Parts: sequence; C-alpha cells; structure tokens
Amino acid sequence: MNILWEGFVQGLRGLWTVALIVIPLMIVLEIGERNGLLQKLNRLMARPFKVIGLGEEGAFPVVVAVVFGITYGSGLIINHVRTGKVGPKEARVVGTFIAIAHALIEDTILFWVLGAPILLLVVPRVLLAYIMSYIVYRFSSGLNSSDRDNLQAVD
Amino acid sequence: MLEVNREMVWKGTKTGLHTTWELGKVVVPTAMLVAVFRASGLLDSITALFAPYMGYLGLSGEAAIVLFSGYFVNLYAAAGSIMALNLTIKEITICSVMLGFCHSLLVELPISQKAGSPLGYIFIIRLACSLAVGWLLGVVLP
Repeated sequence: MNILWEGFVQGLRGLWTVALIVIPLMIVLEIGERNGLLQKLNRLMARPFKVIGLGEEGAFPVVVAVVFGITYGSGLIINHVRTGKVGPKEARVVGTFIAIAHALIEDTILFWVLGAPILLLVVPRVLLAYIMSYIVYRFSSGLNSSDRDNLQAVD
Repeated sequence: MLEVNREMVWKGTKTGLHTTWELGKVVVPTAMLVAVFRASGLLDSITALFAPYMGYLGLSGEAAIVLFSGYFVNLYAAAGSIMALNLTIKEITICSVMLGFCHSLLVELPISQKAGSPLGYIFIIRLACSLAVGWLLGVVLP
C-alpha cells in the first residue's frame, strides 16, 4: 500500500507541474486561434511548403496537425482527398510530414516540463519531417496527383 | 491587435483542465505501476535485460520502460514513467526526443493509414528517425 501511495504522489506531483503550464498555454492557444493566427501562420509557411510540393490546400492540414495534433490534421486531409482538393501524392507527403511532426506544442511542453531542452524537442522533429517529406515528394512514383484511379483507391 | 475576451479565457481554461484530466488518468496510474515494478524487483530484471541494447542510445536499462510505454501506449504514459524513475537529464532528453518521432503507435499508425499513407511505411520511417536521433544524441550529448 505504501508503494502504491508513493507512486500516486509522484504522479500527482508531476501532473501538478504540467497543469501549471498546460492551462495558461491552452488559454493563449484559444486567443491565438480566435484571432486568426492559424491562417497567418499558414500564409507564412506557404513558400517552404511549396518546396515539398504542397499547395495551400495541402499545407493547411499540416499546420493544423503541427498545432493541434495528428487526428485533426488527418481528418482534414482525408476530407481534402475525398473532395478532390488534394491528390494522393500530396496526401502522402502530408501524411509523412504529420506522422513525424504533430502536436508540437503539447508534446514539447510535456517533456520540457520534465527537463528536456525545447530546441532539441522541436528542431530535429521539424527538420526530419521536412527532409522525409521532400524525399517522398521527389522519389515516390506511381502516385500521380492527376491519377483518378488512385484518388478513388484512397477514398 | 489581438482581441481578448472573457469567453476565450474560459474556453481555454476548460480545454486546459480537460487536458490535465486526460493526462492524469494515464500519468498517475503509470507512475504507480512503475513504483510497483520497482518494489517487486521486476524493474531490475527489465533493466538488466535491456541494458546492453539501451547502451547504444546512451541510455540506462531502466529507460526501456519509458520508450516502451511511449511507443505502445502514449506520451503521457512515458511521462508517468519518467516521473517514477530516477533518470538523468541526459537520459530524459534522449528519451523525449526519441519519443517525439515515434509514439502511440497502436493509435496513430491506423490514423496515418486512414489519411492515405501505408501503415508499414509510416512505422519504419518513425522508428528509424527515433532510433537514429537517439543514437546521435547518445554520442553527441555530454
């Protein structure tokens, strides 16, 4: 019983540290979102995303995934493929990017609170996501964005 | 100028509380489980078993618990394990960066697949990034 209690207190203490950061952060995110900062971020990222073959429709799911998480970003990209706004190749590039780099704010804060340096948590993840997506964009074959069959296969 | 009102602050607070609650549901039981592992001697066995492999990543054997709970459960479970173990800052850093690339695989791989990227391909990319960066940090970090 003593052991369980010890673990309980350790967990609770850690949780308290995280809560002190997560709650103010969520308020800041909410204010940012309501003031259209997501759209501004998206415009800012237009040029670097163009290099890995993403247009405006493909880039937005990435921005959403990076800020809010893979579930939201994937939901958007599924919807975009279904409605024909992005092709299967672009979806693959987006999928690669967001599989590696998503929920960057939440994940980073969590481990930063536990003692890891912020830069090491963010930079390698974004960098490798970008490099891997570029490789997929340049070298993936058989996924032509104008290929209707593939589009339906994904749907 | 940024527009701020009471409703935004309230909504953000609610989201934060919700996140903390979701976090707590995993973090606290994980920390308790790891405490039991330690007291029962299971932690020592796991540590001994994985110590040779974890050495390549600049980690002690215990850190295997953190990596496994992160890879297969989620980052909250990994955080709970970190809280219950006595890892150095270097080890916490390496585990954290590794887990950033690769985590919650049972949940996230199917999500990737639904979004049009094959499961095996995403799995290999994420695990390779995680191990490569872990190895690099193990070498580079003081």
